[in-house]
Amino acid sequence: MITIPYLTALSTYFSYGLLFAFGQFRDFFRKIFDWWNSTTDLQGYAPICLGLEDFYTRRLYLRIQDCFGRPISSAPDAWFDVVERYSNDNNKTLIRTTKKSRCLNLGSYNYLGFAASDEYCTPRAIETLKRFSPSTCSSRVDGGTTSLHNELEEYVARFVGKPAAVVFGMGYVTNSAILPVLIGKGGLIISDSLNHNSIVNGARGSGATIRVFQHNTPSHLDSVLREQIAEGQPRTHRPWKKIIVVIEGIYSMEGELCKLPEIVAVCKKYKAYVYLDEAHSIGAVGKTGRGVCELLGVDTADVDIMMGTFTKSFGSCGGYIAGSKELINYLKNNCPAHLYATSISPPAAQQIISSIKVILGEDGSNRGAQKLARIRENSNFFRSELQKMGFDVLGDNDSPIMPIMLYNPAKIPAFSRECLKQNVAVVTVAFPATPLLLARARICISASHTKEDLMKALEVFSEVGDLVGIKYFPAEPNKQHLEKCTTKED
Amino acid sequence: MYVKATPTADLNRNTEWFTYPGVWTTYILILFFAWLFILSLFGCSPGMAWTLVHLAHFAVTYHCFHWKKGTPFSDDQGIYNRLTWWEQIDSGKQLTRNRKFLTVVPVVLYLIASHTTDYNNPMLFFNTLAVFILVVAKFPNMHKVRIFGINADQ
Repeated sequence: MITIPYLTALSTYFSYGLLFAFGQFRDFFRKIFDWWNSTTDLQGYAPICLGLEDFYTRRLYLRIQDCFGRPISSAPDAWFDVVERYSNDNNKTLIRTTKKSRCLNLGSYNYLGFAASDEYCTPRAIETLKRFSPSTCSSRVDGGTTSLHNELEEYVARFVGKPAAVVFGMGYVTNSAILPVLIGKGGLIISDSLNHNSIVNGARGSGATIRVFQHNTPSHLDSVLREQIAEGQPRTHRPWKKIIVVIEGIYSMEGELCKLPEIVAVCKKYKAYVYLDEAHSIGAVGKTGRGVCELLGVDTADVDIMMGTFTKSFGSCGGYIAGSKELINYLKNNCPAHLYATSISPPAAQQIISSIKVILGEDGSNRGAQKLARIRENSNFFRSELQKMGFDVLGDNDSPIMPIMLYNPAKIPAFSRECLKQNVAVVTVAFPATPLLLARARICISASHTKEDLMKALEVFSEVGDLVGIKYFPAEPNKQHLEKCTTKED
Repeated sequence: MYVKATPTADLNRNTEWFTYPGVWTTYILILFFAWLFILSLFGCSPGMAWTLVHLAHFAVTYHCFHWKKGTPFSDDQGIYNRLTWWEQIDSGKQLTRNRKFLTVVPVVLYLIASHTTDYNNPMLFFNTLAVFILVVAKFPNMHKVRIFGINADQ
């Protein structure tokens, strides 16, 4: 439920209409130009792009290409080096220079600060690198299971609170290769409307029927389940073989937590399986970092399949699936990502094991608990300060992701470039990753951000926000400021 | 001043923007400002300006809604490549509020255009032809129908 000022909605539609009209205009002239100067050696070959497919990329994305995909040349810690680029042909191609600027990192998923060199994890990762080499050069079933892999799976299962777990080398592949193994034709997948692309791809690849329910609305999930179970499979109306409901822990574009207790209750009522994708919430929320189940008080035995990735809070790469022993056994025997894909790199696995040890406090210090407390404080402080300044910020309390709404397409490059000039690097997201109206700048807070970093970010945002005009709500008067004024008058 | 936007369950990025608040008003305002623009550019009578707006609206909406097929993105892997925008909207459900609104707009434009030109002949013929084609194209029975194979796929 997002509140938009009405005039902003109107002007956003108008801007997109104008951009679309200009794009069509230029395409029209391009077609005439190409027909006039046609050098066709490719008679009879089919075109690579069919019709309008790449219109959005060519005419809208390329204009502001310098705001996306900026290369960095250091580890993505709280401060990092952004490589400067310039363009000679109006952003169609970008050329890297050798100059770098040191910027505040508000875009990396570095929730617990493990993305840069860590005093406990990095020496152990280097030692593993020397002992086991960077890659196992084999799939899990051939020669790619080392003692590290078994240790990692035990640790993950213990951390998440399930009997067993299986680990894959890549997070995206975990979703898109597991869903086809879990369910096939004759099954039903009900997924949240804002689920990640990996889940959508996995669901499409499985061959099951896909239905969507309104984002985070358990009542709509209830009515969709009811309707689908009553109707049965599409043409034969036989009962469904299996129903899986797929949801995420924290939605990365909204920063919202899912309404897990209500959704689990609905699924239990209709006997559907629950698949929880904790890519952004594992390690980042919850008192001991065990994710959304701990935060919302849901028993992990109620969630049938728990999936997560190691790229966000653990500073590594890869993904895992945790569930019952029978489920994991079945997956290990049938999932192509386990049977044929290269196993996770040993230093990456060691990084995960070490970071889990730090989070749980098994390294002998309380750094894990400090990090968790710090990320919670940082997120709540930053969000409340932004809201006080009048920005339209989404997301629930305790969530480290906060999108700041921009709405108009022109404000996306304006915000991004102005912040970069003041050495703050932000990630902006627009259509089609978000709905048309709701373009945003997504801030990810880390435990390695200090109070000074956050204050600097707030200053920069306040200035840029006034310049670009995104303070859509009235700002709350600052009490300290008022006191200063009254004492001056005296 | 503020409106609430609830995210829809429509997965088609090409059409889900039409379900958010403010679209209808923007559409009507674009038509109105186009009329003012044509009046100021050509200095013709208001009736001629409305006729020009009506015919331009016919050309643009016929091309965008009923001629162009598919979506401007490639991530949806071409699921909608055989459907025009009109057939994609609201996931193919007929007679929804959006569809009724979009059917009424050309009719209202026709009435305004013919009234302000006093139903005089060359304009009346073109206006009637335009509104006839547009309204017939929007009938529920015309869903996925390609007359004489015009605009059908290869």
